[in-house]
Amino acid sequence: MDNMLLICRGLCASAGEKAILHDVDFEMRSGEAHVLMGPNGAGKSTFGHVIMGDPAFQVTGGSIVFDGIDIVGLSTDKRSKAGLFLSFQAPVEIPGVPLRSFLRAMVDAHGLKMKNKEFKGRIKELSAELDMNPAYLDRELGVGFSGGEKKKVEMLQLLLLRPKLAILDETDSGLDVDALSVVSRGMELYRQECGGTLLVITHNTRILERLTVDRAHVMVAGHIVDEGPASLIDEIDAQGFERYETAGLAIEGK
Amino acid sequence: MMATQAMILEHAAAMPAPTWHFLKMNDTAIEIPEGLEISPHVKVSGPAKILKGADDIERAVEGAQEAWSAKHPAPTQQEIAEREAFLAAEVDATYGGTAQSDYQKHADALEASRSLSQAFEHGLGSEAAMFLQRVAGKRVVVEGEAGQNVEVDMIVKSVPEAVSVAAIDVVAKCGAEVNVRVTVDSQDADNGTNGIAGTTIRVFADVGSRVGIERAQTLGEGYIDLDDIALFAQDNAHVTVKQTVLGADVSFTGLAGDLRGQDSNVVVDTRYLGRGMQKRDFNYLLRHHGPRTKCELRANGVLMDECSKTLRGTIDLIRGCKGAEGSESETVLLIDEGVRNKTVPVILCNEDDVAGNHGATIGHIDEKQLFYLASRGLSQEEAEAMFASAIVEQAALDAGSSEIRESVIRLGERLAPGFDEIFEEEEI
Ligand SMILES: Nc1ncnc2c1ncn2[C@@H]1O[C@H](COP(=O)(O)OP(=O)(O)OP(=O)(O)O)[C@@H](O)[C@H]1O
Ligand SMILES: [Mg+2]
Repeated sequence: MDNMLLICRGLCASAGEKAILHDVDFEMRSGEAHVLMGPNGAGKSTFGHVIMGDPAFQVTGGSIVFDGIDIVGLSTDKRSKAGLFLSFQAPVEIPGVPLRSFLRAMVDAHGLKMKNKEFKGRIKELSAELDMNPAYLDRELGVGFSGGEKKKVEMLQLLLLRPKLAILDETDSGLDVDALSVVSRGMELYRQECGGTLLVITHNTRILERLTVDRAHVMVAGHIVDEGPASLIDEIDAQGFERYETAGLAIEGK
Repeated sequence: MMATQAMILEHAAAMPAPTWHFLKMNDTAIEIPEGLEISPHVKVSGPAKILKGADDIERAVEGAQEAWSAKHPAPTQQEIAEREAFLAAEVDATYGGTAQSDYQKHADALEASRSLSQAFEHGLGSEAAMFLQRVAGKRVVVEGEAGQNVEVDMIVKSVPEAVSVAAIDVVAKCGAEVNVRVTVDSQDADNGTNGIAGTTIRVFADVGSRVGIERAQTLGEGYIDLDDIALFAQDNAHVTVKQTVLGADVSFTGLAGDLRGQDSNVVVDTRYLGRGMQKRDFNYLLRHHGPRTKCELRANGVLMDECSKTLRGTIDLIRGCKGAEGSESETVLLIDEGVRNKTVPVILCNEDDVAGNHGATIGHIDEKQLFYLASRGLSQEEAEAMFASAIVEQAALDAGSSEIRESVIRLGERLAPGFDEIFEEEEI
């Protein structure tokens, strides 16, 4: 059990009547990089949201232990403060709130005790790092941002908060080549500077080219149907999910 | 030394077409306390003249009247008879033969008078406007000659136990561009102060002119704010008004506009914060006369604690304004249970081929937003505090002048110490 950061055992979750996650076992050690793959609608985003405590889903069975504590009963903001981070597949827009004010509120909520000068300096540094126009800081959060810009803002928050575990839900999707390399660089920075643990949910292998993956998991129809070393990614890249889907149906059927 | 007498300005900020009386929001009463010293603390920078009895606006309206009357000959007896017959049939159809509403009678009388100066209405009503003019004494006149670009900044700085009012006339001649920015602020004061600050602004925007009015109110506790605006827009004139209401115990904001000229356009953006026991009263009345005229009213606010807010927004699409479009929209975030929020959007329509829209988003922080913010460590309380502070930050970011910016930042600092750090200039 040493340096286990996340352990899910028999995790079941649903949205109202609809059961989405079934008996999910999932483990990550501190400092590792994992990949979660699976066809559309498999439940990958749901898994990320359930770990983060999204009230839209109910945990109907099993446990989630993060950094040694069972977090199932913990509110989302407390999970964030405990060191969890979820980069949203579709980041939410907050009209009326300038990005800068939001970042400040976030840093304060985390009790990071950053003096204003330090805060500004850090943001400036990160904006440069992520090739982000600092003018965005005065714009309302997400409003009128392009898909790529929204993802960069997610990376900026990740690097500002330096969580223990970051779940990146398709942070790479819909990005052009330049933005993709910016996100890759952000991931590298997070791992190097913060010794961060990373769970990458993705449909593309491009983003994984510059990442040393420790383990890969495959989810189909709410079940973890396979897991293995990084080579599993290439197998799936070549063969797709078909072989699991029949297996998944078999599980569903019984 | 002159001082105020106690009085009540009844039926201020009235809606032209009243709604149910029991809602108690058809109009408001403004209470003027006794013994406030009349002391206009008004500072003006930029090209403006300050004098008693200035009548530039009156003359501009007279000029417009001549042109308008020439272009709109009085209806013949036959046309009047036809119109009356039509209206009678309409009334029969709509009200089952009951009498015309008072509103309709008043509106018809106004039309029949064919007088532009009578149609030049004030947002807080004529009684309140007269009070404000009387207290202000002199007028500040800002005039933009044809093709000229004029920028004027003003500060109304209130002091305790006094009433400080600026009466401002803006005349933008054909093709001129005039921007007036007004800060309504107060000296730092202790608890238990009493004071009134106000402005009454008349705008005459001639053909093809552009007028921008920006007014930010950051008064301290104990003050009453009176914000009265009357607009008149000729052909192709564009008027934008930006109002920021952040301070004062009680604020009355009233704007009336006459979109007389074809293709004229009025945009009003209002941003407000209400907290504690504060009262916020807003009244908007836009009358579309000209064809293809456009107006847009947008209000965005955050209400917390036990404050109360009323907003009346009337868009009147008058016969003859073919192709006109009016829209009003409101976004209000209600943070606490004790908040009282009332909104009446009214769209009056006496013309086909026009569009009137209203939309409102009133409520609490949306679930998805709340989860997103929580995933970044913000509790519900922290998220709400962020929205309230963001209103003030946005106001500082969007400020059109350094005076407005500084007074907004000072208010932010009073609400949350440390606020001003956000805006400290970076060292180069
Ligand atoms: N709030 C909800 N209510 C009902 N059903 C939901 C809800 N959220 C997700 N689902 C359903 O759960 C299933 C899994 O959705 P999820 O978004 O987790 O899939 P995904 O693996 O992330 O897919 P993709 O690769 O397309 O992003 C889908 O069938 C989806 O329709
Ligand atoms: Mg997904």
